[in-house]
Amino acid sequence: MILEGTHINKYFYDPDKHQVLKDNSLQISEGELVSIYGESGSGKSTLLYILSTLDTDFEGQLFIQGQDIKKLDSTALTDFRNKHIGFVYQFHYLLPEFNVLQNVMLPALKLREKSRVAIQQDALALLDEVGIAEYAHRPSYKLSGGQQQRVAIARALINDPTLIIADEPTGNLDQKNTDIVFKLLQNITENRGKTVLIATHNPKIYKNSTRTIEMIDGSIRL
Amino acid sequence: MPKPVLNTTNLFIAFQYLLTRKKQSILATLGVMLGVTTFIVMVNFMTGVNDFLDDAVFNGSPDIIVGATPDGKKKKQNFGTAIHALAKVEEIDHFLENDQNVSSFAHQIISPAILISTTAQLPGSINGVFPLEERKMVDLDRRLLSGKGFKSLLQGHTILLGVSLAKRLEVVVGDEVNMLLSNGKNMKLEVSGIFSFGITTIDNVRTYVSAKTLQKLMHQENKITNIHVKLKNRDDVALKTVLSENFKAITTQDWKDSNKTIVIGNKVRDILTWSVSFALLLVAGFGIYNILNITVIQKRKDIAVLKTIGYAARDIVFIFLIQSIIIGLLGAVFGTSLGYLISYIISTTPLDTSDFIIVETYPINFKLSYYILGFLFGVITTVLAGYFPSKKASRVDPVTIIRGI
Repeated sequence: MILEGTHINKYFYDPDKHQVLKDNSLQISEGELVSIYGESGSGKSTLLYILSTLDTDFEGQLFIQGQDIKKLDSTALTDFRNKHIGFVYQFHYLLPEFNVLQNVMLPALKLREKSRVAIQQDALALLDEVGIAEYAHRPSYKLSGGQQQRVAIARALINDPTLIIADEPTGNLDQKNTDIVFKLLQNITENRGKTVLIATHNPKIYKNSTRTIEMIDGSIRL
Repeated sequence: MPKPVLNTTNLFIAFQYLLTRKKQSILATLGVMLGVTTFIVMVNFMTGVNDFLDDAVFNGSPDIIVGATPDGKKKKQNFGTAIHALAKVEEIDHFLENDQNVSSFAHQIISPAILISTTAQLPGSINGVFPLEERKMVDLDRRLLSGKGFKSLLQGHTILLGVSLAKRLEVVVGDEVNMLLSNGKNMKLEVSGIFSFGITTIDNVRTYVSAKTLQKLMHQENKITNIHVKLKNRDDVALKTVLSENFKAITTQDWKDSNKTIVIGNKVRDILTWSVSFALLLVAGFGIYNILNITVIQKRKDIAVLKTIGYAARDIVFIFLIQSIIIGLLGAVFGTSLGYLISYIISTTPLDTSDFIIVETYPINFKLSYYILGFLFGVITTVLAGYFPSKKASRVDPVTIIRGI
């Protein structure tokens, strides 16, 4: 068991009190490629932020790799995320001040479990895996959207996390790049045995996942 | 155990931010530099002027002057011999000897006189001094332009002249002047020394002769008119009040009374220095605050990403704060250097003075503590200016940013 959430409730208070998530429980095991899909406003993004530990303001319990998330203070939580969770967003969110290689290295430089040289080797290997190695020393903003998303995947993998969380990773990509990115995410589960959790609108993705979770009106449809 | 925020990675990110905004970083640094430079130059110059005036005026004049009060009823006096001799001199001496704050004191007999040379007749204020006592009060050797100091007065028929007076009398050391007192007596005196305090009001009128000579000429054997007191702590003039309470028929004056304009001038210069420097550093601080604030607003997404990939709030604070610290340090280093350079140039600039002071170049005070203060000023301002935007950056909530797209 890599992730276990029990009785997760979430309220928004602005403008009025409104329940976004209604008593959701779910368990995700290692090696799964899980898709969450649902209409806009169904609460799938909200659930994803909670499962990814970015949002800790919820009712219920969340364990990731046996760690009770609510028991970590904000610094410990950041360190936990740094080590155990990789992120991919709809918009790639590379940092434009840094080149491609530096962007991939940033999470590992923070973790500091390896030397700078070793981190650089890891980053180059990952860039090679996502097919961007030749652009390693380019400023990140000079890459196309699809290329940047592949760099973001490399960045998510640099600390060898057990859980990869992707929020509409193909939402902003054309068909060809969508296929490339999804293939990469599939490889992560198949070849590396990682767990991938994707929030998506794209039927092609949720139909090809090992498990799909449908959100309707704040609840997981069973 | 949380990892320390000061590490190569955070520094690397901070430097990268600074380098990608070169123009803004340079502008901000220049702002701090300008503030620090102005502070240094102003403090150097203003305190230079203050010190110069202090040195010239206060070292040339005593801290407290004790004189006799003219008594109300007009005594019948011989024409021209009206000096107000001080009574109870021994008691006052005894009192001064026992005061903790008194550093030294000396007797004087002061009288107006006309000085006559071969070419001119000028009024002067004759200070009859006891050379060995007076030497402890006034460091005349440092002020001497030519000739000898107080010791030369021991001969009895010599006179020391202020430089402006000597010039107008057209005399040099070795020449003779005739001193004509108000009682009609006169005496030929040899100029044994010419001094300059740098203040025309002093150099124009002051002369020193031996007190004994003056007493004899005035028929005021063993009488004195004033006691000059030098204090250990000049700011504590309580002695003045104590003296006037204990002794009747004396007037007391402290250095603040005698030099009101200079004391006020010093204060005004101090206020000006601090307020202008403070205002400039404030402007520089606001500049940095602005730049960092805008950066934080522009970089909210990046900050959110840094937070999701493992950078904690304190890392973010450090990354932004270190940028303003670097700007502050650079600005302070350049500012103090440029400040020194400008101050140095000013200190070598010839000064065409009016009659009030006589000085060859602008007086500058290169005290190290002002440089340290200017440096700290620059750094502290930037750190304060950078703190709030950095705090703001650390509070960026990744969820709202990512959701906000």
